[in-house]
Amino acid sequence: MLELNEIGFRYGRGQDILQNVSFRLQRGAFSFLTGPSGAGKTTLLRLLFLALRPAHGRIRMFGEDVTRVARSDLPPLRRRVGVVFQDFRLLDHLSTFDNVALPLRVAGQRPTHYARDVMDLLDWVGLKNQAHAFPPVLSGGEKQRAAIARAVIAKPELLLADEPTGNVDPVLARRLMHLFAELNRLGTTVLFATHDQSLFKQVRAPVLYLQDGGLRVL
Amino acid sequence: MTRSTAQRSGLIIPKEAASLSTLTATMAVMCYLACLAIGALILINRAVDSWAQGLSEEVTVQVREMETRDIDMDVAAILARLQETPGIDGAEDIGRKAAAKLLEPWLGTEGLDGLPVPRLLRVRVNREMPPDFELLAQELSAVTPAASLDTHRRWEAQLTRMAGTLTALSLLILVLISASAVAMVIFATRAVLDANRTTVDVLHLVGAEDSFVGRAINRRFLATGLWAGGLGAVLALLTFFVAGHAGLPQADGLSAASRSLFYLPETGWWLTPLFLLAVPLVATLLALITSRVTLLRMLRSLT
Repeated sequence: MLELNEIGFRYGRGQDILQNVSFRLQRGAFSFLTGPSGAGKTTLLRLLFLALRPAHGRIRMFGEDVTRVARSDLPPLRRRVGVVFQDFRLLDHLSTFDNVALPLRVAGQRPTHYARDVMDLLDWVGLKNQAHAFPPVLSGGEKQRAAIARAVIAKPELLLADEPTGNVDPVLARRLMHLFAELNRLGTTVLFATHDQSLFKQVRAPVLYLQDGGLRVL
Repeated sequence: MTRSTAQRSGLIIPKEAASLSTLTATMAVMCYLACLAIGALILINRAVDSWAQGLSEEVTVQVREMETRDIDMDVAAILARLQETPGIDGAEDIGRKAAAKLLEPWLGTEGLDGLPVPRLLRVRVNREMPPDFELLAQELSAVTPAASLDTHRRWEAQLTRMAGTLTALSLLILVLISASAVAMVIFATRAVLDANRTTVDVLHLVGAEDSFVGRAINRRFLATGLWAGGLGAVLALLTFFVAGHAGLPQADGLSAASRSLFYLPETGWWLTPLFLLAVPLVATLLALITSRVTLLRMLRSLT
């Protein structure tokens, strides 16, 4: 599913953020990614959702070397990856429904085809009554659930989460964690980046520890 | 529920996130100026056509007074010769008084009676089968050495040169206006893209192709082009209409020119508005193509 081989990255002429990072995720796996602040977790995730290219090394995703694909071939690959951000990245001018439906809309699907799926998913994440509300009036937890719904609506094979519980209280964090575990149980491969070690107890999964640009499995 | 939800899908790039009011206003002014330039172009071409037609339909024979000759007999002989020439539809002597009147602007009214004023014969030429003017000039000289033929070719050539210069100037103005419009659309496209970077980033992250992002933003430029072009064309039509009917004595020429843009029954009154209404279409196309090319270039430079 996902294989990183000797990945290195730096921003411009700055120091190395990642040095010779290698790991592999099997299809259907669940892994945590953790490490101190500034260790490069977000950079690693950005490499994985194809927003950055590594300075060296290879990333194989879905059987393809994504470090070599042309920019024009990236969108179909990105549609196979769902991403959840700590800061949600919802579009404030679109309703919750439209935000969640966005991946289907950009894939060219018609609203009449996806409306029922979107409403079902909003029901599943407990936001059915907020379908027509806009992000500015949603609570932090509701925004995060909307962001998760957007990440999974197109049934991605790989789900990347960057501190998805960072802005919510511990009770909601456990509920969101349960949501990710449920998605993984349904077949989605999940890489969950977090500082919160209490979440490790909720799901028994390998923990990838990133420190000083290097990675080791705990 | 499902259907109503689908029908309410929001705009990916909302109007307020891509305010193009400044661009619309400046493009409307550009379109207005373009319409005025097109109006001038139409006027010049129509005027030159009509002058050139008048000049090529007529030639003038000048018979000078000579001491040894009777000018009236020379005029009569020349007229007789002209009537017999194939390709000449008619000839008439405009008379001594009319010929003297033509000299008044230069010589004044006093003392013209004593001057040897040449006689002018107005000759109507068949446009389909004109005579050989070189041969005609020789024949007329043979009738009397006092006769000379003026075919107006020199005036026609000067007129054509002047019209060509004015046409080129009008076209240059149109090109400059188009270039300015293109530059403005490029700046506006960059501003819209900068203002919507977050949205564009999210669209890319969820797998949007550049063409999808381009379409979402391009819609705004479609509306801008149509509005600006339409406004410019309507204002220009109003300007021509008001100028044509204002009746200001200081602007007689302008009024007549503006009126002539609309009152030409032989070519159809609708031709001028049709030309001017092409401006919104061209402006829209220009805005769409420029913004699309700029957008795709800029998007390609993003990750």
